[in-house]
Amino acid sequence: MAYNQLPYLAIFLPAVLIAYKLTPAAYRKYTLLASSWIYFYLCSQYLLLYLVGTTVFVYLLGLAMEKFPLKSAPRKALCGIGIAGLFGTLLYVKYTNFFIKIINTIGSAGTGWHNIPGLHILVPIGISFYTLEAVSYLLEVDWGRAGSDHDFCRVALFLGFFPQTMEGPIARYQDTAMQLTQGEDLHLNNIRDGAIRIVWGLFKKMLIADRLNTAVGTLFTNYTQYHGSMIAISGVFYALQLYMEFSGVMDIVIGSAQMFGIKLPENFRQPFFSQTAAEFWRRWHITLGVWCKTYIFYPVTTSDAAKKWNKFARKKYGKYIAKVTISAMALAPVWMFNGLWHGPQWNYIFYGIYYLVLLELEEVLEPVKKGFYKKTGLSKDSWFWHLFRILRTWLIIFTGEMFFRANGLRAGLAMFRSIFYQFHISSMWDGSLLKLGLDAWDFAVIILGTATVFVYDLLKEKDIHVWELVSQKKTPVRWALVYCLVFAVVIFGAYGAGYQKVDLIYAGF
Amino acid sequence: MTKDEMKEKITEILEDIDDSIDYASEEHLIDDHILDSFAIISLVGELEDEFDIKVSAVDMVASNFNSVDDMAQMVERLMA
Repeated sequence: MAYNQLPYLAIFLPAVLIAYKLTPAAYRKYTLLASSWIYFYLCSQYLLLYLVGTTVFVYLLGLAMEKFPLKSAPRKALCGIGIAGLFGTLLYVKYTNFFIKIINTIGSAGTGWHNIPGLHILVPIGISFYTLEAVSYLLEVDWGRAGSDHDFCRVALFLGFFPQTMEGPIARYQDTAMQLTQGEDLHLNNIRDGAIRIVWGLFKKMLIADRLNTAVGTLFTNYTQYHGSMIAISGVFYALQLYMEFSGVMDIVIGSAQMFGIKLPENFRQPFFSQTAAEFWRRWHITLGVWCKTYIFYPVTTSDAAKKWNKFARKKYGKYIAKVTISAMALAPVWMFNGLWHGPQWNYIFYGIYYLVLLELEEVLEPVKKGFYKKTGLSKDSWFWHLFRILRTWLIIFTGEMFFRANGLRAGLAMFRSIFYQFHISSMWDGSLLKLGLDAWDFAVIILGTATVFVYDLLKEKDIHVWELVSQKKTPVRWALVYCLVFAVVIFGAYGAGYQKVDLIYAGF
Repeated sequence: MTKDEMKEKITEILEDIDDSIDYASEEHLIDDHILDSFAIISLVGELEDEFDIKVSAVDMVASNFNSVDDMAQMVERLMA
């Protein structure tokens, strides 16, 4: 029951809203929890036990940690046991067969271990997301930034609130937990704003992302049959599909929560206006980036080893070398983790290394960049350089997403190589694009839909919030605009006969 | 060291990292993405040396780095 499908939008969500409204305020948290676990059961059946088990484990550890003072060894040990248990489960469920495959590959090269059969392990929905939230809770309690929660229902909702189950956002305990159990009354404004946000998400997903899916599938499956320019287009199409799909689903998720008066953290902030790869990652899948920064990057950079090195390097080699080396030391685990978190595939690991190298290069080249602007007298804020940096970042994004989506690392590398051969720009107009399962009408919808989202994002970038403006208009104008959006989804959405059902991409991670 | 002297020293350190920012008027250095995490790493190293404090991962929250005032408050707390 994906968030963009009718069973969720027309039955499940309204049913939960009604049940929530009918429940006395003090018991609404139980309605939300029962709904959330029912939702999980409908998606993953008995694998719900993983979520319930994780919740009990984390809840009890939180209570146990409270009995020991901050920074004490037993408190740290309990937190360590918790993190090991949580990541151990994630590793077992998601990566066992990956490791067996590696052992078998090494074994076939001479050690004799090459016949270990793969295991049939079912993966519960959203395990990658709720595991990170559970680790976050334990660390926040260990560090004393959050108190141990005595309310089991709140911990359970923090980990399992149904709109977040499939794709996050990965929240911090302090940011959402209290809201989930407050039993806030339903307000018409919240329901209206949440519903508009949901329709906006459907617009992005169904008009653009799901329509592009056919072309993306064709290009990535049959990449050997296409020349360089079409391969380059595959990266552009997939980046666009992923943005429209993931940010669209986040709109549905955040809109669903908004209906209950719950504010979830945003996961996107106009990422295609980024001027550097580092900035892109501050605007794309924000909650994963914040998680990595909070629980990997800063703990590494503030560790004793890093500080000792920092002090030594600053004295011996200067501030620049110290900064560059410390960055590398902290970025390496962040990006290895980011790549592996997406799944047990070499191209995801490569994707992590790709951004590690790019981000480190940005740091290394910082003085060169400063020197360039100083010598030439050019302003880095001029519109030309601004646009140049945005387009350069697009190239980085498109290339990265091509590796990310490729059917394996070998395919990704072959696709990348082929971009430099037989690059015919004429593919854009010679009819090649119309042989990807999309006709001129499809492309017209994609282009108009993308242009609409671009204008919306551009206005948001300028701090102009479209829906706030709309809400200030007179009722007929408001309704006309909302109807336009609803009809656009109903009439131009890629669903029904002629379209394949498209699973949520990030729900697979 | 008085609080004003402390703020002056912190501003000096910040200007050494990036002199294009008006630190006296900025109150959302982190929330508005004016300082990034790489700048924060350099800043933390300098603050530790200058004030003989130990900044840990627990202190790495936006509210400790959003303005010179916030940083001075954190330094004061860690010196105590």
